[in-house]
Amino acid sequence: MYDVVIIGSGASGGAVAYTLCKAGYKVAVLEKGRLVKKEEFSKDELAYCRRDLVTPSLFDEYHTIEEKVDGKWVSTPTYESGWSFWNGNIVGGSSNLMSGMLHRLHPDDFRLKSKYGEIKGANVVDWPISYEELEPYYALAEELVGISGHYESHAYEPKRSTPNFTQPPTKENRVVKLIDKACHSLGVTPLVTPRAVLSQTKPGRDACYYSNFCGSYGCSSGAKGSSREALLKPALATGNLTLLTNTHVKYLHTKSKDEVSYAVVVDTITGKEKQIEGKIFVVAAQAHESARLLLNSANKHHPEGLGNSSGELGKNLIFSGGGSGQGELHKESLKEIKFDELMTTGLFINRTVLDWYFIDHWWDGKFKGGSVEFMFEHQNIISRARKNNYENGKLVWGEALGERVVKRMTEQKNIRFEIFNDWLPNDNCFVSLDPTHKDKYGMPVGKLRVEGHPQDVKVGKYIAKKCEKILEEMGAKNIYSGVSSSPPQNLVAGGCRFGDDPKTSVLNKYCQSHDVKNLFVADASFMPTGGSVAYTWTIYANAFRVADHILERLKQV
Amino acid sequence: MRIKRRKFLILGSLLGLSSYVKAERTTDFEKEFKAVKSTITAVQEHMFPKGSKIPSARSMHVTTFLYETITHKSFDRDIKAFVVEGAEELMRREKGKFTSMNRIEKEKALRDYEMTNYGSTWLSRMMTLTMEGMFSDPIYGANIKESGWKALGAYGGFPRPKTKYMES
Ligand SMILES: Cc1cc2nc3c(=O)[nH]c(=O)nc-3n(C[C@H](O)[C@H](O)[C@H](O)COP(=O)(O)OP(=O)(O)OC[C@H]3O[C@@H](n4cnc5c(N)ncnc54)[C@H](O)[C@@H]3O)c2cc1C
Ligand code: SF4
Repeated sequence: MYDVVIIGSGASGGAVAYTLCKAGYKVAVLEKGRLVKKEEFSKDELAYCRRDLVTPSLFDEYHTIEEKVDGKWVSTPTYESGWSFWNGNIVGGSSNLMSGMLHRLHPDDFRLKSKYGEIKGANVVDWPISYEELEPYYALAEELVGISGHYESHAYEPKRSTPNFTQPPTKENRVVKLIDKACHSLGVTPLVTPRAVLSQTKPGRDACYYSNFCGSYGCSSGAKGSSREALLKPALATGNLTLLTNTHVKYLHTKSKDEVSYAVVVDTITGKEKQIEGKIFVVAAQAHESARLLLNSANKHHPEGLGNSSGELGKNLIFSGGGSGQGELHKESLKEIKFDELMTTGLFINRTVLDWYFIDHWWDGKFKGGSVEFMFEHQNIISRARKNNYENGKLVWGEALGERVVKRMTEQKNIRFEIFNDWLPNDNCFVSLDPTHKDKYGMPVGKLRVEGHPQDVKVGKYIAKKCEKILEEMGAKNIYSGVSSSPPQNLVAGGCRFGDDPKTSVLNKYCQSHDVKNLFVADASFMPTGGSVAYTWTIYANAFRVADHILERLKQV
Repeated sequence: MRIKRRKFLILGSLLGLSSYVKAERTTDFEKEFKAVKSTITAVQEHMFPKGSKIPSARSMHVTTFLYETITHKSFDRDIKAFVVEGAEELMRREKGKFTSMNRIEKEKALRDYEMTNYGSTWLSRMMTLTMEGMFSDPIYGANIKESGWKALGAYGGFPRPKTKYMES
């Protein structure tokens, strides 16, 4: 029997495994995907970005997505729409593929309700912990995962317990000169984006070599702070970690009401089922799949799903997004920097704007805003060549296609902004079990209803307008933005809210089930509200915090 | 609302054949593909002719790439069936003469086909599959001597793949 069994080897599972293995406990990580070693990762656009190589085939495993059409909820399986909600199902999970732009939440994100009051149609609550309680773990994650950056004091930049990042920012493309200048002339403060990418070598990990294909690709230098590289590798080195790959967890079994006794797993290669026993179980399968697993673990003791006496399991799912926009920097009109500098590949744009994180304006009003990241359009070649090849609704082909594509690829570079504002939790955003659809292992698939709150779109549009002005000031052409309540499937949280009251939350403040004492959920499921930044630094930090609590418990056993 | 791909492919078919039902049946896909191969090649060559700023389909083995990629298990089985079915529809519309048409006739045939939802979806798929070959890593055999990348002045990152994903 293992001391601790962890389901999922991604950002959250890795942080828990690392802490417990280092402390000498015997841990099993059950991962449904295979192990792709650092050396195997290549920059193969076809394989990683255009085929299901690191995610399951949608015909085998999928979700059903419910959207409102003409006033009615319509559910579509993702094998029909092609809209996959898998984000990376290999050892290390989606953290292998992240772009690594990481931010801490602001202290007021922990008390949104107290700060802004009720919002009609939104289920906003305060967190049961404060920023101060999480801060030491943000610092720990910064060190262990390897987050590079440069701290500058800003009204909306949370305070740190250490003066600055130990790793300086990664190298930057000269376009930041344009961004900084445009921001300053508009009275906006550009900040350096913290990034889970090593700018300098660290024991056992090489620095970034600026491969140009970072987000959506695995890292072959060890610079990216994936769970696999930063946490599971050292955990394996302790000799305390058993990493069970190709091991899909179907459900958790409880012999008595208040204790999980084993996980029922299926070997994805042989199809053989077995049971894995442990003293403590930690679910870390990424928010929407963690809720599904617990719902699929319903039994006579827990008829509505494991740990669901509150009826809150799966509810208040949230996403981190808000909209995006783009502009074109053209060779002939580029000022301040040389076109060759702009076209230099590989270097990052580490620029964030936090000025609109909270809005308190005499005219616009007082409301929670969001953050902005600047980046180049993804440098994938096939997708860049393939897009925008229509004219008057007709596909351009022949010589005209050659002219068009070559001009676009060689005489301009597109710059983007992405907005992150709170996805307000609401009654129409949740995971449940689909009553008819089952995956290839015979288990009901997760059914996701994904409606956003109208306030989110309002905030997104407000910020998008300001970002368009920055691109305009930079001299960009054909600027546009798109703000909608369509969820970004790779940034998902909620579904197992934490809180002090077992009647209104699934987990307690340590992310331990109120109902089942040896069950923890370590991924972003716990978040009752998501803040206005992408989640992953918070996921890493909170998982380290949860692991510390599990350690305390193990010491008492 | 995301488009219901499978439903669209079935309802959109002018042949009244169902891509899905077809894909479910165990068919001799190689044989089916052989019957439409020259039509697919002709469409690719029309879209990517000689004398363009990007390499011609003829110089890049793009039909072989297309066949290899759609027959791998990771490829969407509905779209795989659609690729063949869309070519059959083009042949039927043009009474089997498409491949022997001159450039002007081909242009008209394809633009007419594009006027239908079904045809425009199929042509768009042909464009995607051809570009995937031309601009993917040379290991896949259709970006010969990196000439696709050279034309665009854009090169894949390092490390390059050592094997095709179909072989791993
Ligand atoms: C392309 C991309 C770019 C991103 N960029 C950013 C960014 O810039 N900034 C940021 O903050 N975040 C980013 N993210 C998001 C980030 O990767 C995730 O927030 C983070 O990895 C989530 O951690 P997790 O532990 O919840 O899940 P994951 O890291 O996804 O790990 C979950 C693991 O659980 C496994 N699993 C699931 N179900 C089962 C089961 N039943 N049995 C066994 N195993 C199971 C999965 O296979 C997976 O390996 C990005 C993600 C992607 C895909
Ligand atoms: S080498 Fe650098 S740019 Fe490339 S994947 Fe790794 S972290 Fe990203």
